[in-house]
Amino acid sequence: MEQIATFHTHFGALEFQKTCKALGDKPKMMPVPRALSASCGTCVKFQIPFDPASMSHEDLDSVYAVDGAAYRLLFHNEEEL
Amino acid sequence: MSKWKDHGLIILAGLIVGVCSVALVALGNPANMGFCIACFLRDIAGGVKLHTAPIVQYVRPEIMGLVLGAFLMALGGKEFNVRGGSSPMARFVLGFCVMVGALMFLGCPLRMVIRLGGGDGNALLGLVGFALGIFIGTLFLRAGFSLKKSTPQPKVEGVLMPAVAVGLLILLVGAPALLAFSESGPGSMRAPVAAALIAGLVVGALAQKTRLCMVGGIRDAILFRDFHLLSGFVTIFVAVLVGNLILGKFNPGFAGQPVAYVDGLWNLLGMVLVGVGSVLLGGCPLRQLILSGSGNSDSSMAVLGMVVGAAFCHNFGLASSTDGPTANGKVAVILGLLIVCVIGALNLGKKK
Repeated sequence: MEQIATFHTHFGALEFQKTCKALGDKPKMMPVPRALSASCGTCVKFQIPFDPASMSHEDLDSVYAVDGAAYRLLFHNEEEL
Repeated sequence: MSKWKDHGLIILAGLIVGVCSVALVALGNPANMGFCIACFLRDIAGGVKLHTAPIVQYVRPEIMGLVLGAFLMALGGKEFNVRGGSSPMARFVLGFCVMVGALMFLGCPLRMVIRLGGGDGNALLGLVGFALGIFIGTLFLRAGFSLKKSTPQPKVEGVLMPAVAVGLLILLVGAPALLAFSESGPGSMRAPVAAALIAGLVVGALAQKTRLCMVGGIRDAILFRDFHLLSGFVTIFVAVLVGNLILGKFNPGFAGQPVAYVDGLWNLLGMVLVGVGSVLLGGCPLRQLILSGSGNSDSSMAVLGMVVGAAFCHNFGLASSTDGPTANGKVAVILGLLIVCVIGALNLGKKK
């Protein structure tokens, strides 16, 4: 399943990409789609099923399933004010 | 059709920014300076007497319009997301250094594009330097550069920059005697307040909606071979070029260009500094201003760094003039390059 992960930092995307590669995926780093964020940061498109326990880190913002032109939220890293 | 859907809005935004730039010059702004975030923040610093260079003092309504346009668009789109706390001091210093580079070149990246559209060949050297600076910045990004994540902040933190913009507008309209106004030079050349404010509001709203960013365009092209943001950058150039051709204001050449000088090396090096610093900040001066109106207090720190940097540039003779760069300015740009690279190197993330 095609998924997109968004991050608070470019470094977070870089690290996530490495994690995906280590798990045998072929992730792609790219600009965040406008529909997902007003920021102009970097996201990672990947295929392997997202596992929050092993793949999430503090710079991760959200993970979406890509369904054609639509995005469905799968995971959001909760933050406290 | 799909391509138009993907890129149509940013191309339209680029067109409108270009048209507004040409129109503001026709209405009184300095030539090739319909918009310039660096110059206008510098004028505001002078207008509130943070520096006393008599030819560049005016509280420019375009800047307040940009912040408030972004603020209203972010509110309307439910994207007013208040965050901050990501290395604020580093962002302030980076903003300061970006301003030192911009006032060496005599313009922010947006004015660089506008200068190109007016036929100013010196801006070509600036463009080369800018792209080189962005390339250096992407090397830091690839090496794991990070100013660390921002965190959610109380709403008031995000509202303060738009409030400052409203405060400046009130001063400009209601108590101008408190402010300084240039009587000659670029600061004395100004479009009517209402026109400048409306142009700022429109461009600010569009820039928030489209994420228009001069640095982001070249950065994304280098990092991802993605040309979406670059299309806005190119469209501004085309719109300004066509506008100037129609109005008979296209004046190709190097010598005698408005608010510019011909020393290629320092035009280039100034923009190298702007490019590196802006990549580390995550966006060009325009983008920082737009984000500061959208609730991002980290970008507000960068904007404040730029304002203070502008004041220092004029108080210590760092800013260039039509006569060329100053000796102090050259030292400051070299130091600035050193500082941004040290900030970059000291913030390389460690593998987890």
